[in-house]
Amino acid sequence: MFVARSIAADHKDLIHDVSYDFHGRRMATCSSDQSVKVWDKSENGEWHCTASWKTHSGSVWRVTWAHPEFGQVLASCSFDRTAAVWEEIVGESNDKQRGLSHWIKRTTLVDSRTSVTDVKFAPKHMGLMLTTCSADGVVRIYEAPDVMNLSQWSLQHEISCKLSCSCISWNPSSSRAHPPMFAVGSDDSNVNYGGKVQIYEYNENTRKYAKAETLMSVADAVHDIAFAPNLGRSFHVLAIATKDVRIFKLVPMRKESTSTGPTKLEVQIVAQFDNHNSQVWRVSWNITSTLLASSGDDGCVRLWKANYMDNWKCTGILKGDGSPLTGSSGQPTAMSTVVGSSVQTSQNTQNGMSAGRIGKRAPFAPPLRQLTSPKISQQHPAYY
Amino acid sequence: MSGSKPDILWSPHHPDRYVICDSELGLYRIGPVGNSETKAGTLPLSEETAATLLAINSDTPYMKCVAWYPKHEPECLLAVGQANGRVVLTSLGQSHNSTCKELVGKEFVPKHARQCNTLAWNPVDSNLLAAGLDKHRADFSVLIWDISSKYSPEASVSSEKIRLSSVDLDSSSVVTKPLYELGQNDACLSLCWLLRDPKLLLAGMHRNLAIFDLRNTSQKTFVNTKAIQGVTVDPHFHDRVASFYEGQVAIWDLRKFEKPVLTLSEQPKPLIKVAWCPTRNGLLATLTRDSNIIRLYDMQHTPTPIGDETEPTIIERSVQPYESQIGSFAWHPSSQNRMVVVSAANRVMTDFTVFERISLAWSSTTSLMWACGRHLYDCVEDGAEGVDSVIEKDIATKMRQRAQSRYGHDTVQVWKNHLLAGGSDPQLKSLWYDLFYMKQCAEDIELKLQGNKQSVVYSGIKNIVKTTSGTTESRRCWSGSERQSDVPRYHSEERCLSLRLCGWISRGPDIDVEVFLRSLEQEREWERASAVALFNLDIRRAIQILNKGATAEKGDLNLNVVAMALSGYTDEKSSLWREMCSSLRLQLKNPYLCVMFAFLTSEPGAYDGVLYESSVAVRDRVAFACMFLSDAQLPRYIDKLTNEMKEAGNLEGILLTGLTKDGVDLMESYVDLTGDVQTASFSMLKGSPGEVLKDPRVQCWIENYRNLLDAWRFWHKRAEFDIHRGKLDPSSKPLAQVFVSCNFCGKSISYSCSVMPHQGRGFSQYGVSGSPTKSKVTSCPGCRKPLPRCALCLMNMGTPVSNCPGTGKSDERLDLTRENKLAQFNNWFTWCHNCRHGGHAGHMLSWFKEHTECPVSGCTCKCMQLDTTGNLVPSDSS
Repeated sequence: MFVARSIAADHKDLIHDVSYDFHGRRMATCSSDQSVKVWDKSENGEWHCTASWKTHSGSVWRVTWAHPEFGQVLASCSFDRTAAVWEEIVGESNDKQRGLSHWIKRTTLVDSRTSVTDVKFAPKHMGLMLTTCSADGVVRIYEAPDVMNLSQWSLQHEISCKLSCSCISWNPSSSRAHPPMFAVGSDDSNVNYGGKVQIYEYNENTRKYAKAETLMSVADAVHDIAFAPNLGRSFHVLAIATKDVRIFKLVPMRKESTSTGPTKLEVQIVAQFDNHNSQVWRVSWNITSTLLASSGDDGCVRLWKANYMDNWKCTGILKGDGSPLTGSSGQPTAMSTVVGSSVQTSQNTQNGMSAGRIGKRAPFAPPLRQLTSPKISQQHPAYY
Repeated sequence: MSGSKPDILWSPHHPDRYVICDSELGLYRIGPVGNSETKAGTLPLSEETAATLLAINSDTPYMKCVAWYPKHEPECLLAVGQANGRVVLTSLGQSHNSTCKELVGKEFVPKHARQCNTLAWNPVDSNLLAAGLDKHRADFSVLIWDISSKYSPEASVSSEKIRLSSVDLDSSSVVTKPLYELGQNDACLSLCWLLRDPKLLLAGMHRNLAIFDLRNTSQKTFVNTKAIQGVTVDPHFHDRVASFYEGQVAIWDLRKFEKPVLTLSEQPKPLIKVAWCPTRNGLLATLTRDSNIIRLYDMQHTPTPIGDETEPTIIERSVQPYESQIGSFAWHPSSQNRMVVVSAANRVMTDFTVFERISLAWSSTTSLMWACGRHLYDCVEDGAEGVDSVIEKDIATKMRQRAQSRYGHDTVQVWKNHLLAGGSDPQLKSLWYDLFYMKQCAEDIELKLQGNKQSVVYSGIKNIVKTTSGTTESRRCWSGSERQSDVPRYHSEERCLSLRLCGWISRGPDIDVEVFLRSLEQEREWERASAVALFNLDIRRAIQILNKGATAEKGDLNLNVVAMALSGYTDEKSSLWREMCSSLRLQLKNPYLCVMFAFLTSEPGAYDGVLYESSVAVRDRVAFACMFLSDAQLPRYIDKLTNEMKEAGNLEGILLTGLTKDGVDLMESYVDLTGDVQTASFSMLKGSPGEVLKDPRVQCWIENYRNLLDAWRFWHKRAEFDIHRGKLDPSSKPLAQVFVSCNFCGKSISYSCSVMPHQGRGFSQYGVSGSPTKSKVTSCPGCRKPLPRCALCLMNMGTPVSNCPGTGKSDERLDLTRENKLAQFNNWFTWCHNCRHGGHAGHMLSWFKEHTECPVSGCTCKCMQLDTTGNLVPSDSS
C-alpha cells in the first residue's frame, strides 16, 4: 500500500513538472514562478532542496535529467520560447558545505518562436541529444557533438508536425532492431484535425525522421504521452493522457531487408479508461513498465497494473493532496441532489441521488519488504 | 436573473453561507456531511459537505440582480434590483437590530421605470450603492444611492410610483433622490467599483466602458468596445479588469485602457458569467449558456522580455462539475479554488473544488512523486507486513528482491535458483529444473550419443525426438498381473534421454522410475506419483501410493476410493467399469487422477485425454508421449505443444525448445508478458551453447537487466553478474579500461612487466601487496626513471604505504579480512583526472576526509567533489 507524504516545496506558484534522475536519488521540479529546484534524497529518505534558481522569464513547463554518464545535466523549457541546458558544477566557494550546489546555464536554445512545451533527452545510446517541441508545432532535435562541452548544441533536425505540440516522448528501446523513434502529442482540441499523436522514426538512408504512424483514434487534445521502458520486449507500449487514459501497443512488423521506408507498426489499443471522468493530465511508467500512474482533473492519482493476460486494472486511487479517497466514489461531483423548485421548508426530500462510480480502493502494490535471502534450510531432492 | 435562471452569492463574511436567487432568495449554510446528516432536509453538495436551508425570502418579485452588503453589520442585508428599476433592501432570516430594521424594506426609485441590470456596493463607503439601468430617453442610467439618506418628499416622484409603493410600504422608506446621476442618454449593463480607488466606478455602458470619478462627475474616461458585460476587477491585481461580449472575454489593464491587453478564445455560445478567483492569483472562471463546463483561464502576468507584442501566459482548461447544464457558479471567498455550482434547472447545487493539475513521476525504485499546486507529495510503499501478501508484487520489486538473494547465481545446484526466486512461481520452478536436468545430462560422461552431445542436450526434446532412430516397440505385462498388456511402449536412446530431461528417470540404461516415485511421495504429490507409476504399467504400485496418500497425515481419504476404482481395471472393451470410468473421470478435480483413468480407458495410441490435459505439468505429458506415442505421432505432438508454449510464453516449454532459437522465441513471449529480463538473462546464460547468446534479443535482455541493476545502484550485483556472465560467455569480458604510462618513455608501466599474465590489466596489481612474486618497483620498468611521487608522503609510487599514516588511529579495530582488503587498496595509485595530481589511494582518502582541495600546493581543484555519481552509495553493499 502506498502512503503519501507531503514535502514543503516552497515554490511560489504552480509546479508544472517533477522529474527523477536515473538513480532516483535526485529530483528536479519546475514552476510558474520561473524557477527550477533540485532535490537530493538523504540517507534517511528525506528530500532536501539543494539548489533553486531562476531559469526562465516565464512559466517553466518541463524539466528533465540527462543520463548521469553525461554529468549532472538538466534541461528545462518555458513559455518564454526557450529551452535551456544546465550543468551542476563544483563552485569556487564552499557551497557544498552549505548543502547547496551550483547550476550554471550551458546554453539557451532560442529557435522556437512560440512557447516550448516539452523537452526530453534522447535515450543515452544515441549520444547526448535533446528534443524540444513547441506550440507552433515544430519538433527540434539538438545534439551536443562534444559531451565535454555542453555550451555547443547544433540543431540537427527540425520536424514540422502541423499541430500545436504539447508533449514528446522518446522510445527508450536500445535494441539495434528498433531505429530511433519518438512520439509527439498535440493539445489542439479540434477533433476535425485528425489524430493528435504522431510517431516519427529515424531513417538510416535518408538520415531524417519520417512519420511512421498517426494514431487517428486519438482525436481529442493530448496532454501527455509516455513510451514505456522497453526492457527487451518485442513491441513498444505508449500511454496517452487525453480525455481518458489510453495504452497502445505498437508492434513492429518484421521488415524485409530491401525496404527502406519506415517500419510498419501494427497499432493495438490495449486499454482505455475514463475513470478520471475528466481530462487526464499526466501519465508515467515505472521502470519495468508494469505500473502506470495517471493524474486527472478530478484531482486524483490513479495506478494501473496489468495481469498476465495483459488486462489492465486500476489498483489504487489517491487524492491529489495525498489523502486517501473516502467514501465509495471517486468523483467529488458524482453525488447530486435534485431539489424541487417549490422548496418552502428545509424538509425536502432527497431524490435523484446518483451513486458515483465505485472507485476501487485497493492498496496497489506490495510493500517493499526488508530484503532477505530465503533460507534454504531443507535440502530439496533434485527431482521435480 | 429572470425567473428560472439562478445565481449564487457567497456571504462576504460568513464562509459557510450563500444565497441562491432565482424567483426567490434562499439562504443556505454549508457544513460537513457528518454534522448535518442527522438533521432532516440537508442537501448533500459533495461527499463531505451538505447545505441546510436557513431562510427563504420571496418578498421581492421581479428580481433582476442582487448584491450583498459588504460590511459585517448588518449581516445578510441584500440589495435587490427589480425589473421596474427599483432597488429594494431586504434581509434573510436575521434578528433585526436597529440599523437593520431601519434599512430593510427601504426602496430606491428611479425617475423612470426601466429594468435594473446591475448593482454594486462601494467596498469602502458602504453606504453607496450603484445601480445600472436600461436606457430611458435622455435620462441617467447609472444611479448611486446613499442608503442612509432619508425619504425626500420631492415633487418629481411621479404619482404612479407613489401609488405603487404606498400599497405595502410606508412612504418614509422610499428614496427617490440619488446621490449621483451618471451616464446620461445611455444604458448601463454592468458595474463595478475599482478597488484601487473607491471613488472610481467602472461601468459597462451601451457601446463603451466608462470610468466615472465621483469627485468630478462631469468627467469620464471611456473606451469604445462591445465587451461591456460583466465588468469585474481582479481582486489580486487591481488594474486588471475582465468584461465580455457574446462568447468573448476581454481583459483590460486600466493603466493602458485604450484596448484590451488580451482577448480570450471565443466560445460558440454567449457567456453568462465571468469571475476572478478570490483565492488564486489571475485565475478567471467563465461560463457560457447551455453548457456543463466551466472554463478556467490561469493568467500569469509575468511579462516576457522578448517584445511588447507578447501576451501573458494563459493556461486554459475546463472543468465539469457534473453532467447537467450549469446555471451559475460562485467562488468561495476563502477556500482555495472552491466554488458552489447551481444547475440551470431544479436548483441542484454542488460544492466543487477545482483541482490543480498534478504532474507525476516514478522513480527507479518504484516510489511515486507528484506535484499538486505548490506542494510535493512523495508516495512510498509503507512497510506494513502481511496486509498485501495477497496482491501480487510488481515484477520490479520481485527482481530487486531476487537480485538481493543472488537469484540465478547457483550454477551447481541449478534447480535451487527457483528457491532463490522465492519458490512460489511454478513456471520458474519448471524452468530451473529443466536447466538442471540438461546440465546433469550434458555432464554425464556415460552418455553415448553421436556428435556434440552437449548441444543435443540443450537443443530441447523437440529436436531430440526429431532424430529418433532404432525405436523398438514392446508390449509389457502389467506388473503384478500375468496378462499381456496390449499397450505398445516405445524405446530408443533419444526417448530415454527425453525421459531423463523430464526428470522421470536418472542415469543408467534401464528405465527405473522408482527413485522419482519416492521423491514424489516425499513431496506428498500422491496423485502425480500414482499416475507416473500407472504410466509405467505398475498398477499395484499406483494403488499402493494412493493408499499411502490416504493414510498419511492430513491425507485425503478419497484417495482410497480412487484406489478401489483403479483396482477394478479391466481391459474388456464393453465392461461397465470402462463405461463408468470414462464418463465419471471428468468429475475428478485432480488432473492427475483424471488422466489416470483417461489412460486406462483409451484405445492404444489415442491418448488425447492425457496429452491435452493442460493442468498436467508439461514434463509429465511429454514423458508420457515419449513412452506411448509412435514415431509418427510423437514429433507431431511435440511440435504442437512447443508452439502452444511459445505462444503463451510458458517457461515449462523450455523443456521442449531447449536453449535454441525456439527457446529464445519462447522467452521473448515470456519477457513480453512479464518484463522479467532477469530470468531471461540468467537462464540464457546457463546453457552456454554460444549461438543463443549471440542472438540480439538475448543481448538486449542482458543489457536491459544490467541497466536495471545500475539504476537501482545495485552496482555490486551488476559486477557479480558481469563476472558470472564472463565465466559462461568469455566474449563478454570487457577490455582493459585504463593503463598507466610512464612520464618519460610513454610506455605502460605494467606493459613492460613481462611477468604480468595480462597485459594492460596489471596496474591494479602494481602495488607491493598485489603480487608477492614481484620485487618492489618504484621506477618505470621500461626506462628505469622513477615513478611520480605521492603528493602526501612524497615517496615514489610503488613504495609500500605505511599503515594508517599520520593520524595513527590504530584503535579502529576492523576485522582482519576487511583490513587486508583496505590495506591493499591503500597502495593503489590514484589521481584526479582534472588536476592530474595523485598519490596513494589511502593517503588521498584520508586527506579528503578533512579537506576539499587538492593536497598539492597551489592547486585549488576540488578533486573529490567532481563526480556526483561517485558520491552515491551502492544500495546493495552490506
